[in-house]
Amino acid sequence: MRKMVWLMVALLVMSVGLAQQTRLRVFVGGQQRPDVMRKIFDLYQSRNPGVRVDVEVGGATSDQQQQYLTTVLASRDPSIDVILIDVIRPAQYLASRWADTLDKYLPAASRQSLLQQYLPAYSQANVINGQLVALPGFADAMFLYYRADLLEKYGFKPPTTWDEAIQQAQTILQRENNPNLNGIGFIGAPVEGTVCTFLLPIWAAGGDVTNAQGQFALTVEQAQRALQFWVGLMDQRVSPPNMAEKPQDTIRSEMQAGRWVFGTLFAYAWNRFQNDADSQVKGKIGVVPLPAFPGGRQASCLGGWQWVVSDFSRNKAQAHKLVRFLSSPEVSKILAIEASNLPVFPALYRDPDILRVNPWFAQALPVVQAARARPQHPRYAEISEVIRVTTNQVLARQKTPEQGAREIVSRLQAIYGGR
Amino acid sequence: MTQPKYRRSFGDLSERALAFWLLLPAAMLLALVALYPVARLIYTSLFRRRLTDETGLSPVYVGLSNFAQALSDERFWTALWNTLLIVLVTVPGALLVGLLLALLANLPFRVKWPVRLGLLLPWALPLVFAGLIFRWFFDSQYGVVNDILVRLGGERLLWITTPDLLFWAICISIIWKSSSFVALILLAGLQVIPKELYESAAVDGANRWQSFWRITLPLLTPAILVAAIFRTITAFQTFDIPYAMQNGGSAFETLAMYVRTTSIENLNFGYGSALAVLMFLISFAVTLVYLRYVRGAED
Repeated sequence: MRKMVWLMVALLVMSVGLAQQTRLRVFVGGQQRPDVMRKIFDLYQSRNPGVRVDVEVGGATSDQQQQYLTTVLASRDPSIDVILIDVIRPAQYLASRWADTLDKYLPAASRQSLLQQYLPAYSQANVINGQLVALPGFADAMFLYYRADLLEKYGFKPPTTWDEAIQQAQTILQRENNPNLNGIGFIGAPVEGTVCTFLLPIWAAGGDVTNAQGQFALTVEQAQRALQFWVGLMDQRVSPPNMAEKPQDTIRSEMQAGRWVFGTLFAYAWNRFQNDADSQVKGKIGVVPLPAFPGGRQASCLGGWQWVVSDFSRNKAQAHKLVRFLSSPEVSKILAIEASNLPVFPALYRDPDILRVNPWFAQALPVVQAARARPQHPRYAEISEVIRVTTNQVLARQKTPEQGAREIVSRLQAIYGGR
Repeated sequence: MTQPKYRRSFGDLSERALAFWLLLPAAMLLALVALYPVARLIYTSLFRRRLTDETGLSPVYVGLSNFAQALSDERFWTALWNTLLIVLVTVPGALLVGLLLALLANLPFRVKWPVRLGLLLPWALPLVFAGLIFRWFFDSQYGVVNDILVRLGGERLLWITTPDLLFWAICISIIWKSSSFVALILLAGLQVIPKELYESAAVDGANRWQSFWRITLPLLTPAILVAAIFRTITAFQTFDIPYAMQNGGSAFETLAMYVRTTSIENLNFGYGSALAVLMFLISFAVTLVYLRYVRGAED
């Protein structure tokens, strides 16, 4: 009998001990450097002894992660508290009511002063219909990576227009005469990055999918010119005929093996080129803003990842506290140094510790500031599918740029019209 | 006091009632994992439910309008047609290749395991892996198929991004993956054919070709039918291989792929469920037709 009593007491003490520790589960994608995230969570745990943060690592691409999260969130599973989501998703998270909006933790004045610290693109991307859906973790944009050694060999400066890039690629390919070397790499497979490929020339020409009032505004002519531009790169033989097969990471790994002169890629590529054990191009890669389009401006595609609290979390207040930490300048700096993730605070682009590791961040700020966001819409998944699949078919020459443009415009019109 | 009474009442159960109680747990499990999801699917298909708007939390009853939408949806018909093409090419293809493999494995080799292992491997491989492997085989730059073509003096083909070539690449992958399953069933069928029949046929002067047509094939028919049923049903559900081979693209889309995109990616659960119900009905109808055949063959 006495043993029983002691056992009960022991159980009670243990359960109180367990109850005092809050466990938070955070979802990050496989490409978002879970190893670095773990270090950041360890730091948070050491400062908040009552909290334990577990990491759940998901698929490599944004689409794969969202497929899994859709299953979790649609079934209102409370097991995940905080999620790192792509910049294209806050509108959908709000519409599906998957996000615990952060306004209730922030009085209007402090929300205003918090959002002012971030790059404007990210405070805009995370406020949907006046509600704060998420807070930014790190920034991203597309850049032009080039083989500094090859450009130097032929006396070229990094290109500022696409015409220059095409000419340089033609000259280098001709003189090098290496069958394994390709010219200009861009994302052409039916993946999310191809939405950026399609939109870049449209933005550069001053157009967009919607106008300032959020109404559908894309014309067939704009879409056709954009598609024609990329098909033209294959016609001029600076890009190989199989661009429709290429997702972003294929171009990255091929460039890493020395097979591309130019590559249009997001910021994550730099760290891989410099630090991966198998990289053939260490110290040979330069980064500049994407070139300007014929008769247009320079444009880049806004990427980046946001921290959102799941509406089904059972520890929302603690999760919100964690998200505030994760979206702080301190974490932004750690991510910049350890993972080469672009900071979401403009001041950090001049931070000497960061510039020592990523010297090119000095030129990256104007690119991120000028980068354009893909359409914000609850049905973004469908918009993305229309654009990436059709663009891919045009690159595969199953459709002419004109047919592709007509199809994109009419199908997007239907989505924006609520059909 | 109560115990003997209880025991007696248990003992009094008629055989029919006993069977009922013994089967109940299994039946309930089946209802839970098979009937409930199907019922739920049919229920959801009658609602407008999009997780991207307010109907995500409060679905709106729309009757059969999701089905009406499907019937006027060009993409649904294309996906159905593509699925039919897959069935028409890969079922006979797998039966033919599977039969050849089974005949090969049934030859009196002294060491049987290498052939049997070769038969089992593709079957044991997950479908997605097969899709990814063949995606690399057919890669235009690094693929072994184009490498062979070039060595034979041909030209590099863009297998994955040219629709007609993609279709054949998918069919070849599916046939490779599924013919080993067919071969396993047919091999089992071949091994129960009595050897005496061949011996007496040989005594009567029949050549190998004749004994194949007159003995092997007729006696193998039940096994072929079983293999054909399973293969057809799974062919109607084709998803993994074309999905993995296209890197998530939908240039060649089967019904199952369209269902997935609609519900999981576009979050349109109502319409996605309606498409899934249509797919279920088609598979069900095909199964019924086959079952009639099998019964006919048995009679």
